[in-house]
Amino acid sequence: MNAPGRVSKWSWLFLGFGFFFLYAPMLSLIVYSFNESRLVTVWSGFSTKWYGALMEDEQMLGAAWISLQIAFYTACASVVLGTMAAMVTTRMRAFRGKTLFSGMITAPLVMPEVITGLSLLLLFVSLSNWTGLDFARGMTTIWIAHVTLCMAFVTVVISSRLAELDRSLEEAAMDLGANRFKVFFLITLPIITPALMSGWLLAFTLSLDDLVLSSFLSGPSSTTLPMQVFSSARMGVSPKINALATILIVSVSTIGVIGWYFLERAERRRQAEMQLATKQ
Amino acid sequence: MTSSPQATSTDDYLVIDTVRKEFDGFVAVDDVSINIRKGEIFALLGASGCGKSTLLRCLAGFEKPTSGRIILAGADVTDLPPYRRPINMMFQSYALFPHMTVEQNIAFGLKQDGVAKDACQRRVDEMLNLVQMTKFGKRKPHQLSGGQQQRVALARSLAKSPKLLLLDEPMGALDKKLRSQMQLELVNIIETLGVTCVMVTHDQEEAMTMANRIAVMEAGRFRQIGSPDEIYEQPNSRYTASFIGSVNLFEGKIDKDEKDFVTIACPSLPDPIYVAHGVTGFTGMDVAFAVRPEKLQISKSEPGEPHNKAHGTIEDIAYFGTHSVYHVRLDRGSKIMCNFVNQQRWASEKFTWNDPVWISWGDLEGVVLTS
Amino acid sequence: MSSKPGAWRRLLPGARWGLISVPYFWLLLFFAIPFLIALKISFAKAAIAMPPFTDVLYWVDGFPVVKLRGENYLYLLGDSLYINAYLSSLKIAAISTALCLAIGYPMAYAIARMVPATRNIALLLVILPSWTSFLIRIYAWVGILKPNGLINNYLMSVGLIDAPLKLLHTPIAVYIGIVYAYLPFMVLPLYTNLVKHDHRLLEAAADLGAKPWQAFLKVTLPLSKAGIIAGCMLVGIPVVGEFVIPEMLGGPETLMIGRVLWQEFFNNRDWPVAAAVAMVMLALLIIPIMIFHRSRAKEMEGRLS
Repeated sequence: MNAPGRVSKWSWLFLGFGFFFLYAPMLSLIVYSFNESRLVTVWSGFSTKWYGALMEDEQMLGAAWISLQIAFYTACASVVLGTMAAMVTTRMRAFRGKTLFSGMITAPLVMPEVITGLSLLLLFVSLSNWTGLDFARGMTTIWIAHVTLCMAFVTVVISSRLAELDRSLEEAAMDLGANRFKVFFLITLPIITPALMSGWLLAFTLSLDDLVLSSFLSGPSSTTLPMQVFSSARMGVSPKINALATILIVSVSTIGVIGWYFLERAERRRQAEMQLATKQ
Repeated sequence: MTSSPQATSTDDYLVIDTVRKEFDGFVAVDDVSINIRKGEIFALLGASGCGKSTLLRCLAGFEKPTSGRIILAGADVTDLPPYRRPINMMFQSYALFPHMTVEQNIAFGLKQDGVAKDACQRRVDEMLNLVQMTKFGKRKPHQLSGGQQQRVALARSLAKSPKLLLLDEPMGALDKKLRSQMQLELVNIIETLGVTCVMVTHDQEEAMTMANRIAVMEAGRFRQIGSPDEIYEQPNSRYTASFIGSVNLFEGKIDKDEKDFVTIACPSLPDPIYVAHGVTGFTGMDVAFAVRPEKLQISKSEPGEPHNKAHGTIEDIAYFGTHSVYHVRLDRGSKIMCNFVNQQRWASEKFTWNDPVWISWGDLEGVVLTS
Repeated sequence: MSSKPGAWRRLLPGARWGLISVPYFWLLLFFAIPFLIALKISFAKAAIAMPPFTDVLYWVDGFPVVKLRGENYLYLLGDSLYINAYLSSLKIAAISTALCLAIGYPMAYAIARMVPATRNIALLLVILPSWTSFLIRIYAWVGILKPNGLINNYLMSVGLIDAPLKLLHTPIAVYIGIVYAYLPFMVLPLYTNLVKHDHRLLEAAADLGAKPWQAFLKVTLPLSKAGIIAGCMLVGIPVVGEFVIPEMLGGPETLMIGRVLWQEFFNNRDWPVAAAVAMVMLALLIIPIMIFHRSRAKEMEGRLS
């Protein structure tokens, strides 16, 4: 639907209102993180003391470190599994059990996390029971839960990209003597790299932000950042959380915008390349 | 079928033996067989959906035939995956790897075979020279024009000196002017190298210009196989006659069936058609008489010949510059086409709409079709 | 002619199964089987034990005996709290989905009609909030809606009200929170769908005499059906089981089943009941999930052919 200049004034107004709605709360967080007063929403002066307090909060920092680690490993595993799943979805004709597979790969996108979190926990508990091995809840179990969730999202991103990929490129590579593995690593992978990076970032943010799954599957020494924030926030609004929120918003936005910019550029370049190189 | 029964090894360089391909019950390729000579350029010509692309993909290895065998230079390749066949294909969309340079594209196949670096480079240079793209080695595909990309695609598919080269609608992506030039260039390169080639196209002109032999395909079957002039001047069926170029078809019955001539009684013509050669048939047999528009003469006065003429009125004129096509409504109602070469300037002005004219043709200029 | 995926079947069948099996078994083990286990445990009874529930499968003289206790389900059906919680969750999900659609559709439509340059920026602006922490954005609303929060402070300082309005811990706060958090999930699939529409269709409609609103109803809306379904499923289904938002923004009378499950598990330590709650929730959602899956499968099929 590319009708340039057809956006009416009402549309702009509506959009403006929509964006205001989306961003005003985040801006309020940022603004009030610099509030002197302990009463978050009563402005009493400019101060950065809450950032200092945050830096000294061992619990928060520890939880942040744990979350970052889990998010990193989740993103890596999700990209690998998600790419495999995307290849299966887009490159293979029906096999026995394909419906079940595609159902399992789409369901996590919408399934409420309380259900999956509880069920996964019960799995580990039962496994411990049956095998005698101790499937202690901790970072590993959180990681497993996160990968299961993020994998579904990564698959969406990658399979969307794979579906657009011109099949004749892969066929040409096979025709020239490359077997399937070589085709994947020499041709497919380099071409879909921007999508892989998008998927990685997506999985990273999803994992970093997850509360429910972490709560069900964490152990005594694996409190994640969202869990920490949640328990603090339950006790009341605190400017330290505002400071944390600001750091998160600013860093994620910066990385997001930079990442988006580069991906956009790569995307535009590859569109041009694809159009000329494959002449569809 | 034009290959002789006792074929020598160059005559059956590529043997397609009763190849059949079905997709969920739909028959795309229906038990076709053909022997292709070494060094021959063979075209599969047909409309979309006729199965030509499927057959090509079976040769390349991207489809496995439901039944039948494919034998290349004596070796059965039917069960080999594409990367193990000594066959290379030039894709319709060229499929140049966008993240590699021209040189890397051409070298790709050689690298898969483990060719040493310097031998590889030499071959790449050789190929670039062959297609006259030496200066473009370091460019990426998106920096090339359509014609340049085609050359690189060709070079890439020839780099490994394949036993069989496959071309999928080679001129499909080029504009008209470039097409005619590239057709001849492509054929030159292929013939210089002596590569056996099978091409697929829906463009008659392309097939006629480039190929040594053409197979007209329809619904998964070969309707006729022959050289371009055989197919054009000796169509074996109404289908082939109408598929290639334009043709005027007169339906009728054999009136007199003699050894050296035949007459055909045709409802749309006042007198029977006289054909100056015998046909395998019998009196009363339903036949079609096919005569191409360029074989017809058009004149204002009645021609002197006793037969093979008809009177009508010019209904439509299509002016092409080099020639005009007159659509003449014959007295008995049917419409025929007659080509008139504008050999003299303003020659076309001789005839205009609603002119009464006479159409005639020579005794040997048409073909009698029994199917 | 596009390549048929069937050609792959010939090539390295072993490797092909390797490719399928890794994600397949991961999902089977960590997604599907847990549901079966939860189902099994929902038939057990809470016990002071580790794990805190009774066995379902007993071995008596080498023979397996299954002891299913349906009590949990009867308990759920009997107690109006749970039934109300389910109904309330469904209601809240339906209303918030409708709200997201009402706000999200015009946004997606406006963005889809922009020039590509502005479009991408607008899209980024819509997605950006969802990259930042969900939890923190909900927390922001706490600060805005509480008695001495931003809204109340502003209204009082301007003199419009004398005493703070109760905005936090109300159903309204929950709706605001849900729409706020889930709006991008509605806008994105709608946008993806709308941007593919050929604007010449609308031009043709106008040429044939249709007014803009008629063209919209007869052309744009039907064509965007798949996007609407995707958006509604992506919002509606997870909202049914939402926990964080009702917990932080809702009051005691905001009954949502996700919260109930959480409390059963963490507060009451009644795992079997929690499992039963989850299973009933799953049963309620299984049909919408299948609809979602069908719609995605169809879309993917369309892309691949």
